[in-house]
Amino acid sequence: MMMSDIAKDRAARSWKKRGSVSSLSSHEFQRREIHARTKDSMSTVSYLDEPSQRDDVSRLTVQMENTYQLGPFKHFPVVTVNHILKDVLTNYLQEEEYEPELCRQMTKMMSEVIKAQVKDLMIPRYKLIVIVHIGQLNSQSILIGSRCLWDPKSDTFSSYVFRNCSLFALANVYAVYLE
Amino acid sequence: VGFNADEAHNIVKECVDGVLGGEDYNQNNINQWTASIVEQSLTHLVKLGKAYKYIVTCAVVQKSAYGFHTASSCFWDTTSDGTCTIRWENRTMNCIVNVFAIAIVL
Repeated sequence: MMMSDIAKDRAARSWKKRGSVSSLSSHEFQRREIHARTKDSMSTVSYLDEPSQRDDVSRLTVQMENTYQLGPFKHFPVVTVNHILKDVLTNYLQEEEYEPELCRQMTKMMSEVIKAQVKDLMIPRYKLIVIVHIGQLNSQSILIGSRCLWDPKSDTFSSYVFRNCSLFALANVYAVYLE
Repeated sequence: VGFNADEAHNIVKECVDGVLGGEDYNQNNINQWTASIVEQSLTHLVKLGKAYKYIVTCAVVQKSAYGFHTASSCFWDTTSDGTCTIRWENRTMNCIVNVFAIAIVL
């Protein structure tokens, strides 16, 4: 399976673009950097695992044999994943203070870590989407919502919010069954 | 084949403009606004008639001096599945909408 990572940063300070460089180790990736002068409110960096040469074959459409399986045999364990999220968020963020650079790296790293841990559960035929939001805790107001169009019998999500004195973090994992 | 991110981008941008355009940040209304943005986006995406499951996330933040970071990591088939992010802002608030589309194999 290919993996694709998307990281978005928003440091809400001002209007011009800020350059950002981030790196993820252990995978080949393609980096797009947006360079400009400091003092901006948004920067975007995205990473994609490049398909290697031998994957050319997989680009052709694959006809799959009928499994006659109507639903998942093993459902997504929401409670287990809740615990995973709680552990990861608490371990990584318990002592941390909000700092733009640190949190930028932290969001990307944590989404990778959570994805790896959930993959280790080896739930077959489930695709995963992990989203991590980290924000500075102060008297601003924020609302995060989501809606999903899927099959509620097989697909589900898991979520956890962590707070300490200077920051808050929200992690969401969506699990979609491959029909 | 694969997910057409541009089409989704346009659709969602129109929804956000329609709901938040000309509005100022208002604690009482944001619940309703995020709900409408997300529901309208979903309805329009479904009208495309493609065999996809959709996940739409929306975050609305009041414009302030405070920082906010978002990252996402996805485990899927990159040939058929895709994502799209829409950033929108006005004088008093910022809005980020994420659309994830996962293909259904018919």
